[in-house]
Amino acid sequence: MNPQPVFFIAKKEFMDNFRNKWVIVLTIAFALLAIVFSLFGSIFGSGWQDIGATVGVLTSVVTLIIPIIAIILGYSAIIGEIERGSMNALLSLPTTRFEIVLGKLFGLGSILASAIFIGFGIAGIIIGLNIENPDVAGYIIFIVATILYSWVFLCLALFFSTLFKKRSTAMGGAIFLWILFIMIIPTVIQGLLFAEVGFEAVISGEGAQIPDWYFAGRLVDPGSVYTSLLTLSIADAVDPGNFFQTPYPSYYSAALMTVLLIAWISIFFTLSYWRFSKKDI
Amino acid sequence: MVQKTLKCSTCGNTLTLEVSTQEPTYATCPKCHTRAVYRPPPLVTKYTLQSSMETLQVTNVTKFYKAFKAVDDVSFSVKKGEIFGFLGPNGAGKTTTIKCILDLIHADKGMISVKGFDTRKEGKKAKQFIGYLPEKVAFYDNLTALQNLHFYAEMKQLPKEQCASLISLVGLEDVGQKKVGEFSKGMQQRLGMARAMLGSPSLLILDEPTNGLDARGVVLIREQIKQFRDKGVTIFLSSHILSEVQAVCDRVAIINKGRIVAQDTVDALRMRLQLKPKIVLELQEVTKEMIDAVEKLDGVDAVNVIGKMVHVMCKPYVKAQVIVTLTQKGAKIDNLHIMEPSLEEVFMKFTEETV
Repeated sequence: MNPQPVFFIAKKEFMDNFRNKWVIVLTIAFALLAIVFSLFGSIFGSGWQDIGATVGVLTSVVTLIIPIIAIILGYSAIIGEIERGSMNALLSLPTTRFEIVLGKLFGLGSILASAIFIGFGIAGIIIGLNIENPDVAGYIIFIVATILYSWVFLCLALFFSTLFKKRSTAMGGAIFLWILFIMIIPTVIQGLLFAEVGFEAVISGEGAQIPDWYFAGRLVDPGSVYTSLLTLSIADAVDPGNFFQTPYPSYYSAALMTVLLIAWISIFFTLSYWRFSKKDI
Repeated sequence: MVQKTLKCSTCGNTLTLEVSTQEPTYATCPKCHTRAVYRPPPLVTKYTLQSSMETLQVTNVTKFYKAFKAVDDVSFSVKKGEIFGFLGPNGAGKTTTIKCILDLIHADKGMISVKGFDTRKEGKKAKQFIGYLPEKVAFYDNLTALQNLHFYAEMKQLPKEQCASLISLVGLEDVGQKKVGEFSKGMQQRLGMARAMLGSPSLLILDEPTNGLDARGVVLIREQIKQFRDKGVTIFLSSHILSEVQAVCDRVAIINKGRIVAQDTVDALRMRLQLKPKIVLELQEVTKEMIDAVEKLDGVDAVNVIGKMVHVMCKPYVKAQVIVTLTQKGAKIDNLHIMEPSLEEVFMKFTEETV
């Protein structure tokens, strides 16, 4: 593999999105989101919340919006070029299909990474200046985990971009997967939990015991893996999917959650390349 | 370099040329302006033959779309410095073959090599030698013409400096800083030609290069093809404009229903089909004696007289004899026109036979 074509494709993707202000809009949105949530995020106290509480509140919103942004960025990366006709010219150059997919991932991934890093970074500095003993390491973990989480959905969108023959179908498919991962899988797992433990017990929280399979099941959902990683790494961060904040099973660790996020990225990236390498343009 | 004599296939004029012993030498007959080519005899080994002579080698390529055979056992080779015309009706498999050469479409069977590099296994090396103008030219609409070419130059690891001169070469210097999204189809086609020329490729693959161009654009592209021919660039030209192919190509292949139905020089294809030239003469006076004398000539198939116009259908070698015979019989020729069978006739004949 030659790194130069990868770099030039990534640079082009980044510059395209920089020119159309996507990066700037996302950066400002992330910064405002974190500041607003830190300042007004708690109904229990007034003023700036500490890092753990801010991350806890942010997580529930971030798990919803980051996948949408990643899907919007990624769903047309390959099929868009094929539909437009520019993929013909790109593939006639001395480059490989692997380099093209990798370049797309790095280019679009760097847009998400820089928007998350700069947006949440600026917000972190402002929050840090307004609270005592800020958990800097915890906040950095939050930023890195959010970048990894965004890349999971970016690779998923890339895969759908190679899977279908039309951009509209690729977008539909990617949105379906967002609904699957963000709504259907967590709802099904929670529904099974209600069925076993009892709805009343879960709602009242009295005498309810979260079974181990519930935590194992949550590992197939990138959103749950992401929130678990934050809860395990940042003091006071709260996992909204962990009812009654039951202690995690012993096999739950920050390392396992990180590996799982990287595994999702690797699996979807490999599937994207595999599908693209077989595709007739 | 050695001295060789060639006989012009059209007028029989003898040409003396200084020729290379390794590469084809091209010349134009000073009498009838037909393009002549001297090809040196084959070299000793298969390896040296392929590596030095054949820029593009397509061997038994087959491509299915589900049960439909779009390309069926296609084989041909394009030699260094040659302009190879690739003809066929719509849906014959021209673009599919080109896409197989570029590995945009994966052939189900067969092998394709460019300068000896297998396009599947060593695609990056093979593509270093290729410049490609697709049938449907597309660019990044949000970028300017110059920014687009800069990107492709970077991808080919070429200096960006040549982009501006290429844009001037295709006559787009005034709009180099304009976004491609604002370009007309013709302007995009010209920019596509500039992109294909980046890095002075050894093999230019042009898929319908004059498609959608105005008359000025067509002339410009033809001029560029001729300039490339003079520089010794190998050109693979797919076009449905047969006069264009006839004007510039050394050899042609005709594809129909996915199969190559003929490939050779246009002259050789005419000979194979026994298509005859037609001599149209305008005489001051037509006599029965003149017509009888011409009809008796060996090789003359038909003579038609319409007023003072005489139409003679004959074999190519008897053309001169027809004129000599008429003048011997006292004919005074006011006007003379020899109509050679066109590539259109060759094309129609070959594609009809396989329908």
